[in-house]
Amino acid sequence: MITVANLTKKIGDVQALDNLSFSAENGQITGLLGPNGAGKTTCLRTLFGLLKPDSGTATVDNIDVAVDPIGAKKQLGLFPDPFGLYERLTPREYISFFAELSGMTRKQAKEATANVIAQLKLEDISDRRCKGFSQGQRMKTALAQAIVHQPSNIILDEPTRGLDVMSTRLLRDILLQLKAQGHCVLFSSHVMQEVAALCDRVIVMANGKVVAIGSPDELCQQTGKDSLEDAFIELIGTDEGIAA
Amino acid sequence: MINRKFVNTTSISRLRALGLCQSATRASRWVAVAVAILLANHSVADTADTLVAAPAKTTTCYLDGLDEQFQCGKISVPENPKQPDGKQIDIHFAILPAIKNTHPDEALLAIAGGPGQSAIENAAGFDRMLTKVRQQRDILLIDQRGTGQSNILSCDDGDLNALNINEDDLDMLAITEECLAGIDADVTQYGSNIALKDFEAVREFLGYTKLHLYGISYGSRMAQLYMRHYPEALATVTLDGVVPMQQSVVAIGSSIERGLNVLWRDCKSNPECQQQFPDLVDEYNKVDQQLADAPISQKVRDPQTDEPSDFLLTRSKYSGAIRMAMYMPNTRSLIPHAIHQAAQGNYQPILGIYSLTASSTGIAMGMHASVVCGEDIHRITEQMRKDAKESYISSSMLDGLEKTCEAWPTKQEDDSFSNPIDSDIPTLLLSGELDPATPPNWGALAQEKLTKSKHFIAPYATHGVAYQSCGNDLIAQLVDQGSIKEIDGECLQKDVRRSFYLNANTVEALPIASTNTDIKTDTTAPANTAEDKE
Amino acid sequence: MKMILAMVRKELIDAARDKRSVMAGLYYAMGTPLIMCGLFMVLIGQLSSPEDLNINIKNANNAPDLVRYLSNNGINHGDDDEAKKIILTISDDYAANMAKAKPAEVLLVADNSDEKLQKSIRRLEVQLQAYSAEMGSLRLIARGINPRITQPIKINVEDKATADSKGGMILGLAIFTMMYSVFISGMNLAIDTSAGERERNSLALLLSHPMSTRELVLGKIIAVTCFALLGLILILLVSKVAYPFVPWQEIGFTVNISQDFMGLMFLVGIPVALMAATLQLYVSFMAKTFKEAQSYLTMVLFVPLALSMAASYNIAPDVLQWLPVSGQQQALMDFIKGREIPMMQLIVSSVTTLVIAVALAAGLEKSLKSEKVVFGL
Repeated sequence: MITVANLTKKIGDVQALDNLSFSAENGQITGLLGPNGAGKTTCLRTLFGLLKPDSGTATVDNIDVAVDPIGAKKQLGLFPDPFGLYERLTPREYISFFAELSGMTRKQAKEATANVIAQLKLEDISDRRCKGFSQGQRMKTALAQAIVHQPSNIILDEPTRGLDVMSTRLLRDILLQLKAQGHCVLFSSHVMQEVAALCDRVIVMANGKVVAIGSPDELCQQTGKDSLEDAFIELIGTDEGIAA
Repeated sequence: MINRKFVNTTSISRLRALGLCQSATRASRWVAVAVAILLANHSVADTADTLVAAPAKTTTCYLDGLDEQFQCGKISVPENPKQPDGKQIDIHFAILPAIKNTHPDEALLAIAGGPGQSAIENAAGFDRMLTKVRQQRDILLIDQRGTGQSNILSCDDGDLNALNINEDDLDMLAITEECLAGIDADVTQYGSNIALKDFEAVREFLGYTKLHLYGISYGSRMAQLYMRHYPEALATVTLDGVVPMQQSVVAIGSSIERGLNVLWRDCKSNPECQQQFPDLVDEYNKVDQQLADAPISQKVRDPQTDEPSDFLLTRSKYSGAIRMAMYMPNTRSLIPHAIHQAAQGNYQPILGIYSLTASSTGIAMGMHASVVCGEDIHRITEQMRKDAKESYISSSMLDGLEKTCEAWPTKQEDDSFSNPIDSDIPTLLLSGELDPATPPNWGALAQEKLTKSKHFIAPYATHGVAYQSCGNDLIAQLVDQGSIKEIDGECLQKDVRRSFYLNANTVEALPIASTNTDIKTDTTAPANTAEDKE
Repeated sequence: MKMILAMVRKELIDAARDKRSVMAGLYYAMGTPLIMCGLFMVLIGQLSSPEDLNINIKNANNAPDLVRYLSNNGINHGDDDEAKKIILTISDDYAANMAKAKPAEVLLVADNSDEKLQKSIRRLEVQLQAYSAEMGSLRLIARGINPRITQPIKINVEDKATADSKGGMILGLAIFTMMYSVFISGMNLAIDTSAGERERNSLALLLSHPMSTRELVLGKIIAVTCFALLGLILILLVSKVAYPFVPWQEIGFTVNISQDFMGLMFLVGIPVALMAATLQLYVSFMAKTFKEAQSYLTMVLFVPLALSMAASYNIAPDVLQWLPVSGQQQALMDFIKGREIPMMQLIVSSVTTLVIAVALAAGLEKSLKSEKVVFGL
């Protein structure tokens, strides 16, 4: 479970986060929806302790990130944007390396890596170097890295960007699986369809603030619109930076 | 006689400085042994102070004439090997370290001549001559017992004024006894065989498993004894200016006569010399006879100090000076002029040559006597004695030696000492055709039972072939290859003669005397008569 | 600790596979001694006079004794172009002047600015002087004068140089290349693992994992240090094998890379490698891209290398013995020259080196906690 409360952060002259509060529950997929520049990435970085909020708190499974960043990070898996692959390592080495960084022993990391490779059907590329991988292969590798240590919370930053249909589908299936396993899944996106198709709850952000929170249906009802897209535009007051 | 003088073949500094004199000096003074024997100065080892005993086997030291750092050391040995707990003497040695030591368990032991010269004092000459060997191997120099710093047996010749002395008036017996009285040593213990034990002890002390030997002149006798007694310690041997075991060094008298004859021949065959000095032999004999009748006394300026002095030119000084001049190619070239001038009544050139030999000698006369009296004098046969009578040099030398040995306590070596060396150690023998001390046939004699040996005769070299020709390259090759097979003495044939002085100034053709500028006419230098035995 | 190990392992695997940029440092370590040796072999050959020197002698018939004397000392007449670079002309009145004890003239024509000829020219001059001196001595003897009087002073020289110290200049260069390899070998890895990491967007991902910044920094420092030391070991081994092939003895000394020296060089190299690694990482993290880091580093590395270079020459001011890098370099040179190691200086410079490394590491840790550095905000 991830909770943020009254997060405020100023980067330069821009008020990136403005008294932001929400929570993402276990066993749910929570979408962080907002136009470019709404503060989604800043919010996620704050969750990892990479950015220090000017005020407010972020907690992961009730661990305050500011107080125990390492403890908090142990509960997190990150699917970053961009992926940050090491081109000269194989997916197996890459995943295993991050598994160790997440606190596993070498042996555990190897086992977990084998498991996740099987889970994501990465066998055919698991021992090839990442250089030259397709976007889908890269996505799967990055995803495997994010979930290899079985974190209770998985954060995905713009996960579907640049993915083809098959990859998107696969990603969707996996997220649903994770949800079924009781993980807390939080992803940011500016792609309406994804959010509509996957999310149990949507947090709509604009200018560093929460504009609305609810299931897609609730949001439609709340705004009196038929589609989430219309609801979204209604909520943020503009259609700038929104992808259909 | 068997002295070694170190010819400067390459380095300038030395030549410019005292090269010429030094070389002649080194060769000096054993001049006409008989008369001169006690006139010999001993020169004190310059390096003695730098050698300090230390727990380490060697200490850093500097050697005369060289600016580098070397390693010096000493071992204590009983003076009399049969009394190991008796008096101990120190045997000093010096190592000229290899530039790039590719064979740390080997060294070249260079053995000095004399008998009585210090190897360490002659380090500069050895270093120059053995440059190539030293690239990869240490050069080991040992002051043989009784020489240099190893309990030197020297005789002080006091205030004898060399210029006006009449050698015939010297009482050799008394002088010998006086010398003996001044020596604190059991002089019977300073023969070659006992000294050889010291060499072997130094080798073991320093941990060399194999030695290459270079023995010059009397040093070649030490090398041959090494082959006889410790063949397992030797890798190769070079004998230069060879004294064969069969030969008594006292027989040198006939060698000197031979040297003179070769000189006459050389001058005759050289158009300029022949033209300038057509009656050379007669002139020599004339002066010799004149001096035999009565020495000539002259007022001269001292050659060194320029003080007015009396110069008594005796037959001994005359023949001794010419004999010593024959050792070195450069002084040898002055001999015809010196004889010619003497015949004209100008004794300055003879005085000049004599003065080179008079000031000091590298020979420890006590040690010299111990060797010669114990190993050589008793080998004189009646025939030799009779032959010696024919020549002033031989007879006066023999006479003087016999008187000296009469007073000198000795232990004579038995007859087996004279056996030729029977060995299959790769051995290079070098002889100089112009050698006035150890003629080429001595080398042939030494080669008799050396089954892996080559004997080369350098047609233009005097005593000490390795110093005057490519002989040192042959040594480097032998040491490097460890075998005599590949070595050929072709390079020794190179014409390295020095022209004779035609007047007090020049060796080149005199312009008025001759228009023929090509003096390289027919040479009578004998062909290489090398005999290979392999 | 476990994390640091994982980091180091990953960095080393990653670096080992990056043949193009990271191996370049190691190629340096292997190539430099070889190139140095090749260069010196050529130089020694060029600078030393050939054993048999051929020169062009004109009017040789005017002075046969002189010509034979030169020949006996390895200087012979030749007619090819090489020989004609040095021309010795014997004057026509040589013999006439000699006979009258007037100066007999010879003319030596050569280009003394031609480095290859200098030694040969000198050798010829020396031999001519030697011949002249010998003739002079014999003329004195012929006049009844001992030629020793022409040498009023006997100059005895005791040179304190040892066989090892004579090669000091070469050894200074050799040690310099070794120091340099410590800096060069790890450099590409340092850039790749810092600026490169950010360029690939993997830095944020790394920092999102439950490890402290210190662990991350240490992991990277150790990895780069390992590479630097690997380069050092390589250059030591290659040097040990390569240097003996150069015919040093021809110029009168030895260059011997002993095992003792290798051990000492390695020990001394450890703090230097640590400092080099932290310095390179620190600078690279300040840069936004690989290229930028490269150009910064080239500038920054000039300082330690200038120190090392300066110390390899004897003209260096004394203060250099106390400074990092140059202090170690001097101590190593003293060791190889067989002198006593200046322990005080070595300790001071090594400790200074370590202090700098620790300070830089602390700065690095701090900067990686800064949002600005991590995200380039």
